[in-house]
Amino acid sequence: MKKKNIFLARRLTGRYASLWVSVIAILLTIVTASILLLIMGKNPLTAFASFLQGCGFLAKENYGGGSGQLTDMLDFLNYLTPLILASLAFITAFKAGLFNIGISGQMLLAGFTATVLVGYNKALSPFIAKPLVLLIGLIVGGLTGVLVGYLKYRFNIHEVVSTIMINYIISYLTGFFINNYHVDMMTRNSKVCTPEARLTLTNVMIGDMKCKIPLGLIIAILIALLVSFLFRKTVLGFEIKAVGQNRRCSEYSGIRVSRTILISMGLSGAIAGLAGVAYYLGYTNTIIPKSLPSMGYDSISVALLGSGSPIGSIFAAAVVSVFQQGSNYMSSSLGVAKEIASLITGILLLFASCGNYMKYLAGRTMQQTSEIASQGSSRTAPASPESKEAKTK
Amino acid sequence: MNKVFTDGLSFALPLLIMAVGALYSEKSGVTNLAIEGFQGVGAFFGALAATLLAPLMGNGNQMIIYIAILCAAVGGALFSCIHGLLCIRFRANQVISGVVINILSVALTAFFTSAANTAINGTASNKFVLDVSARFSIPLLSQIPWIGGLFTNMYPFEIIIIVLVIILWYLLNRTRFGMRLRACGENPQAVDAAGANVIRIRWTAVMISGALSGIGGICFAYSLIGNFSPSIYQGFGYLAIAAMIFGNWSIGPTTLACLVFGLAKSGGLQLCIAAGLPSNYTDLFLMLPYVLTLLLLVFFSKKNHPPKAAGEPWDKSKR
Repeated sequence: MKKKNIFLARRLTGRYASLWVSVIAILLTIVTASILLLIMGKNPLTAFASFLQGCGFLAKENYGGGSGQLTDMLDFLNYLTPLILASLAFITAFKAGLFNIGISGQMLLAGFTATVLVGYNKALSPFIAKPLVLLIGLIVGGLTGVLVGYLKYRFNIHEVVSTIMINYIISYLTGFFINNYHVDMMTRNSKVCTPEARLTLTNVMIGDMKCKIPLGLIIAILIALLVSFLFRKTVLGFEIKAVGQNRRCSEYSGIRVSRTILISMGLSGAIAGLAGVAYYLGYTNTIIPKSLPSMGYDSISVALLGSGSPIGSIFAAAVVSVFQQGSNYMSSSLGVAKEIASLITGILLLFASCGNYMKYLAGRTMQQTSEIASQGSSRTAPASPESKEAKTK
Repeated sequence: MNKVFTDGLSFALPLLIMAVGALYSEKSGVTNLAIEGFQGVGAFFGALAATLLAPLMGNGNQMIIYIAILCAAVGGALFSCIHGLLCIRFRANQVISGVVINILSVALTAFFTSAANTAINGTASNKFVLDVSARFSIPLLSQIPWIGGLFTNMYPFEIIIIVLVIILWYLLNRTRFGMRLRACGENPQAVDAAGANVIRIRWTAVMISGALSGIGGICFAYSLIGNFSPSIYQGFGYLAIAAMIFGNWSIGPTTLACLVFGLAKSGGLQLCIAAGLPSNYTDLFLMLPYVLTLLLLVFFSKKNHPPKAAGEPWDKSKR
């Protein structure tokens, strides 16, 4: 037992500490979810297998006509695309110390604007319509983000409160317009947008399987690389991180804090806008009036799980998507309520937010072991690998 | 006109009790954005108790409401322990912890509501239907012209909340416990040096805030919605936090802020009806409290004095 503790502690203080925190959080979540499933009298192993089957990672027992494992896989990627973008949006603001809880609202507003302006316009060719959709997403989301940033630095309004207020305003406002002008009488949702504007190609036949191809995935990965580059290599990225870590210090060292806050919130909103068009003009193709996408909140768990790394968030998004997207098949095959997916995401979030404490505990364990080692034989202590790693931390 | 005051008060008072809850937590130095989650989970426990008790005590029995309020307070306090654990024990980022709890609580209540409904009556419904609360008017006061509406058709919980808020004001501003609690939010090191236990005070404050938010939640469930369903999460918790900020972290002005929100909400709705607009337009008027919050924050946030140590985990070795 003691030995295992040291094994973990060494991992948690080492170079890949953040990765290990995520791995431990996922393992703890799986254990908790298994206990929950056992209490409900279900076999956790079949449950997790059916999560994977629902996403096309494992083959289902039988498929309907015109669908197959590849169909499920592409459906999964279709859901994954906006989630990656949304989590990147959260990360961009988070690095500047800002909590963009308004991703849902920014997504909704961008998706709504793009749907109304381009999605209902039947005259446009796909080569004009699709870039136009992306551009509208960028601009609308970006402006909403800038507004939050402006309220933050000019009027000292906490961004969590202002984004939540803006979320509800957007939700009611778009709901009003959809209900009055763009409602589909059959579904009570907004009318579907034209296939020319949609960012997902539907009904593509691969072999004999009908598939959806998410074009946005390329953009999502591209943006992930760009955000990674921004924070690793550019002055702006460095300034954003500096403001996030110590606002006063960066002000004294000559960084224009107000400008940096505006830019990072604007970027965050713009990426959230992209996520919005990828969600509403790709994944769903319609807008349910007066409901904010839960993806905006899931993106926070993704960003936390990926410990704020843009590339890591791609993998973290995949983990969360497996639960969210696989829950349909899981609930139909096992009879567990679909809400368990959100519950698992919530538990994941809970463990991921304890990451700093895990690292702190690990650091203390390392220190204690090195102290014990140095008491045992003072000559060999400095050379022991434990103390070395504790020092590098 | 009377209806504006009646509805406004029944919205403002649950909001107020939640705002006071947030205030207790923040005054002790724990930033609390988890109010939204606390109120939802508190309301869940209250509604669960009411649903379980209704067949035993007979439908329409008004005692159930008081038991539900009590259960909501206990449930909210228990759930707030997660926030305490994360913020005080595990030293997590307090804003993250609040957001995490809000997300978790939506999932938790949705999951367990359908699970409980399946167990009780076999249908996987996502809501508990609650009884209608009795309402009463205060004899003489309700006859006053203009403001008589404030005292007509009151819910019994409104009286409970008013009494509670007065007690809580006294506790915070006139007792030793209250003074220490406020000091914990300004300078916890001094409290520690004076021999009080900072950790224990912060735990108490967070649990008080959970209990109060739970009461607020079940009151919303009884008055506004009439059942417990995911629609309890309408951002009221955040509205309460906004009211607290707008009230500059003290109970008197916060009460005023809550009243303004309540009257704006009911006034907007009545205005819509009075103007004879079709029901589609109510969405625009439901937006009013949120717009008003933002506008008020623009004017009042600048010269605020939040508790100095709020948001920082307490470290005994620091100075």
